[in-house]
Amino acid sequence: MRYVKGTLIALIALLAIAFFHYTLPQRDVVRISDTYEKRIDFGENSIFWSSPDTGNATGTVNRDIFFIQTIQTNGKPMVYRNEDTGWGWPPYFKLDTSNLQTEAADLKSSAEAPKWVVIKHYGWRNEFLSIYPNAVGVRQVDSPDVSLFPWMNIVILTLIGLVLLFLYRLWAQFRQRAIDPLLEDAGEAWDAVDERADQARDAAKAKATGFRAWLNTWKGTPRK
Amino acid sequence: MLGAIRLGVFGLVALTILYFLISLYSRSVRREKLENEAAEQIAQGTLDAAARDAYIEDGMQDYENSLRRKLILGVFVVPVVVVIILIYVTNFM
Repeated sequence: MRYVKGTLIALIALLAIAFFHYTLPQRDVVRISDTYEKRIDFGENSIFWSSPDTGNATGTVNRDIFFIQTIQTNGKPMVYRNEDTGWGWPPYFKLDTSNLQTEAADLKSSAEAPKWVVIKHYGWRNEFLSIYPNAVGVRQVDSPDVSLFPWMNIVILTLIGLVLLFLYRLWAQFRQRAIDPLLEDAGEAWDAVDERADQARDAAKAKATGFRAWLNTWKGTPRK
Repeated sequence: MLGAIRLGVFGLVALTILYFLISLYSRSVRREKLENEAAEQIAQGTLDAAARDAYIEDGMQDYENSLRRKLILGVFVVPVVVVIILIYVTNFM
């Protein structure tokens, strides 16, 4: 049982971490080599794609999606998709996909004369599922070894922690003020019933005389 | 536009639920505090035990008119402001 509980907790923790790792913004220093757009027919990876540009028809079976091809500082490739999140999840409220694509195309550079940029994104690149992180913003930096501190993530996680703390306090307060008194009442009522039964039995015993009194001598003492 | 309206409607429902949860919690905490104060004052002899309920009700009346209670309405304001800032920062900065 202990192992089941432990596994379950570990699984939930893993899911929570994966969820935040996917959803929270991250920043990469990369060099943009090119941009392209490609029609995507959504398959089993459909939940990893975002929504069409805000205002366009939704629920279409396929659509063209912008991509940004980049080379990381370690020389490995990274491809980002560039899609609106619109008013949906995750709440980036990104509506400027075409503008971002223009900025990215403008920052293209070659390996010989690299222009380093910081791309803010969320999501995962996974070759097995053909999924791509969604670029949210791009800005040029002077050098590839710029230090980035995740202020935003700290703020978001702190806020989520505060909300969870509030919910816990709310539950504790509710329990203390509403449930415990009820349970106490119920406990008292039960004790009262018990006591009355005991008294009735004692009274009956006291009243019993003669043959019944003799019979009672055969009974054990009542269990408390 | 439809997406924005949907977000607005669901957001309003969620924030209303949150508003009621926070106001219930805040009221409950205040009542508990008043009960503790009353108990202490009764123990010190500065409050008549018969006046306990009146003391608490007085305190709750004060709370209902307090700024703190009205600040809970910020639950509706803050997220809207945050969303507007987010839209600006993400798209137009």
